[in-house]
Amino acid sequence: MNALLAQFLAEAADLLAQVDEGLLQLEREPGDPALVNEVFRVAHTFKGSSGLFAFPELTRLTHAAEDLLDAVRGGGLSLDSGMTDDLLASFDLIRGWLAHVTTHERLPSSAAGDAARLITKLRAPLGGEKAQDEAAAVVHVARRVVPAWLDHFDQRWLTEASTWLRTTSSRMRFLRYTPDQGCFFRAEDPLHLVSEIPAVDRVDVVTPDSWPPEFDAYACLIGFVVATRAGVGEIDYLFRYVGDQIEVVELDGEAIRRHLTGEPPTATPHDPELVADAQAVLAGALRCLTLGDTISGTRLSATAHAVGAAARALGEPVDAAEADPPELREIVTRLLGDAAPTEAEVPPRPAIEMPADKPDRAHADDPGGQVGTKILKVDQEKVDHLMELVGELNVAKNGLPFLADAAEEEFGSRVLSRRIRDQHAGLHRIAEDLQAAVMDVRMLPLSVAFNRFPRLVRDLGRRLGKSVELTVHGEDTMADKDVIEALGDPLVHLVRNSLDHGVETPAERLASGKPPTARITLAAVADGDAVTVEIGDDGRGVDPDRVKRKAYQKGLISEDELETLGEADAVDLVFRPGFSTAEQVSDLSGRGVGMDAVRAGVAKLGGTVTMKSEPGRGTSTTLRLPLSMAVTQVMVVSVAGQRFGVPVDLVQENIRVPAAEMSRMLHSEVVVLRGEVVPVIDLARVLEMPWTPDPDSDRAILVVSLGDRRAGLLVERFHREVDVLLKPMEGLLAYAGEFAGTALLGDGLVLLVLNVKEVLGLADRVS
Amino acid sequence: MTESPPKVLVVDDAATVRLYHSKLLGDAGFHVAEAANGLEAVEAALTTAFDLFLVDINMPRMNGYTCVETLRSETVGTPAPVVMISTEDRPGDADRAYAAGANLYLVKPVAADRLVRVCRMLTAGRGDAA
Repeated sequence: MNALLAQFLAEAADLLAQVDEGLLQLEREPGDPALVNEVFRVAHTFKGSSGLFAFPELTRLTHAAEDLLDAVRGGGLSLDSGMTDDLLASFDLIRGWLAHVTTHERLPSSAAGDAARLITKLRAPLGGEKAQDEAAAVVHVARRVVPAWLDHFDQRWLTEASTWLRTTSSRMRFLRYTPDQGCFFRAEDPLHLVSEIPAVDRVDVVTPDSWPPEFDAYACLIGFVVATRAGVGEIDYLFRYVGDQIEVVELDGEAIRRHLTGEPPTATPHDPELVADAQAVLAGALRCLTLGDTISGTRLSATAHAVGAAARALGEPVDAAEADPPELREIVTRLLGDAAPTEAEVPPRPAIEMPADKPDRAHADDPGGQVGTKILKVDQEKVDHLMELVGELNVAKNGLPFLADAAEEEFGSRVLSRRIRDQHAGLHRIAEDLQAAVMDVRMLPLSVAFNRFPRLVRDLGRRLGKSVELTVHGEDTMADKDVIEALGDPLVHLVRNSLDHGVETPAERLASGKPPTARITLAAVADGDAVTVEIGDDGRGVDPDRVKRKAYQKGLISEDELETLGEADAVDLVFRPGFSTAEQVSDLSGRGVGMDAVRAGVAKLGGTVTMKSEPGRGTSTTLRLPLSMAVTQVMVVSVAGQRFGVPVDLVQENIRVPAAEMSRMLHSEVVVLRGEVVPVIDLARVLEMPWTPDPDSDRAILVVSLGDRRAGLLVERFHREVDVLLKPMEGLLAYAGEFAGTALLGDGLVLLVLNVKEVLGLADRVS
Repeated sequence: MTESPPKVLVVDDAATVRLYHSKLLGDAGFHVAEAANGLEAVEAALTTAFDLFLVDINMPRMNGYTCVETLRSETVGTPAPVVMISTEDRPGDADRAYAAGANLYLVKPVAADRLVRVCRMLTAGRGDAA
């Protein structure tokens, strides 16, 4: 694939996403002019780029979409959801085409038919099909057959128009309207019709060659010639009842000029195309010199400069640098008058081949530097690889303290040990900076995960017959790309759940005194080393009693629990594996996974999910995820001689408590920490390891906090904090929920990192 | 006078169009720099003396007209030729382009040979007007 096409495909993906987002936003804030303009601009940019390739269907379809948006922008049309559907469908179709182009470098064979169907739909609100005009516009074929009635236009105007059209290589539509003599009897109003033609440049009246001797106020004897930039569709629509009375031609400046001179012009000795271009520059200069205010300063010298260049190209160098405006005008007029008009026609091409791949001189030693977007698009694998290397560097770095210990203990050299530690400190600092830098590269805004939801909510809402408004907050919050990727599925599930189970139908909502349109919010907040995403709705909420009954029927809770479970715990039951089953899962939210899958997915990322619900008022689910998951800082502790890691972000403090200060409360050990009672969990017992603390020595307790819960883990010894690359548990150990993963330590040992949440749960069950 | 290649600034919000124009003119022997909108173009023009500007009309942040007006204003004051390239030939676009200070108004897609020809013509006598 050539570089240009690759660039186009990459750019197209961005633009299509912007269009989608803009359209959905427009549907919520209809008629917002800034928004309409933005969507139009993006579609326009897209069309501009697509014109570089030989994908006529693509250009035509984008053009039709752009025209519709343009009409909306002009205020002549208000965007309804049917139009939005058509526009979205068009851009979806284009997205599909581009996927095909990516692999086959051409549009699918069905493109023409699909495009025609959608173009018809898109054109409908504008007054119908103008496919033929479209084709003409795309290949830029100018009509050369000039009708004689062109002479009815004012000749001076026509001459000017011809120059002008040539200058801009553009065309204009010329229309002749000869109303039927008896039109007044059919309630036709020719003058009104003419005044309704949009974008009119000139109207001249065509009078009959001879007037009848007797004046008849009820006979229409005159006609009109009109020059307009209106589209053929617009004209046809306007004159739809008198279509047989109009003639429309589209002409370029050259055709008019030839019509005016009436003879084929002679060729000049110069490259005719160059002459045409030079004349265009001159005509532009003339335009500039005659446009309104007198020009001076930079504008004047720029014009003089351009005139000089054009004159050289015409082989008649002039000294225009010092000319004042009148002199310059004279020079230009002379040059334009002298240079014989040429036959040259410069047909723009519909598609252009990429220039051959020569060494890229353009950028190699560019003195101006790359001024364009300073964003470097890098293959994500490269960044992943960099991250892995940083991880390995961290592990290697972690080996140094072990080496220092060895230097001291095995070789008895304190000095060497200290030096190694100094080296480690320096290396550690650099490695930390490096890691932070790479992490920063991997950071993406949450909008990446959020931007599919406006569409999803809209489409699902419509399918379910529910009116829903999605509000998104904090989409600028940054998080690691892996976190964002992994966030996708749980979020989709939760939003679908809200739509499907949470949000009521408009009728139900009205009956319960709520506004008919439900609200779903997606909000992200950065919270230290974590990011919190909240999915909230103002739907019917979760009924704790129903959940409890259901959980009981499924045997998830005992009869005791059915009585005693508090509301919050009851709501939490929805996360239990096996809670949601096919019978209560509709075709939308249920794909065989329930909330337990959401919780498992989030837990895998080292995050937590909690749900709060107020019956009748709504549900809010909060996901809390680490900002990054590539490198985890863990605190190493040992229990029964075996080392374990605990994620540092859960650790509040390490304390040593004299054995005597430990107390018991309701069968469990507790420690009083600054007036607060913290339960102490014997890690050895939970993990079923043979170890009993020395009754005389202080107890080492690691205080962890998880959500609202605080607990102390009784361990044997504290070690240092290390940065590790956490690998998930695999194979047989994958089911050992009490471990979050494994990591390789600098001395080659494998460290098991605890899943604190599971450990606390396990402890509850053990006691 | 040194015979360094003419410096062209390609101003377009569509990265594909920028790439196309850069490659085309780069291969034709121009030094090409790029700007993604009018504001970037003005910034670039303040630090580098370009010999030619190719300016798109419809761009975010600062559109082509304002960009060219600013290039011609006292703040920047560049007399270098400006070619405005419009995606859409809308009524009045050409007028506005020339009024803003452009020297040539073209409609996309501009054939490769024509673009190179025009750029060569407009940069043939660099320094004359300076």
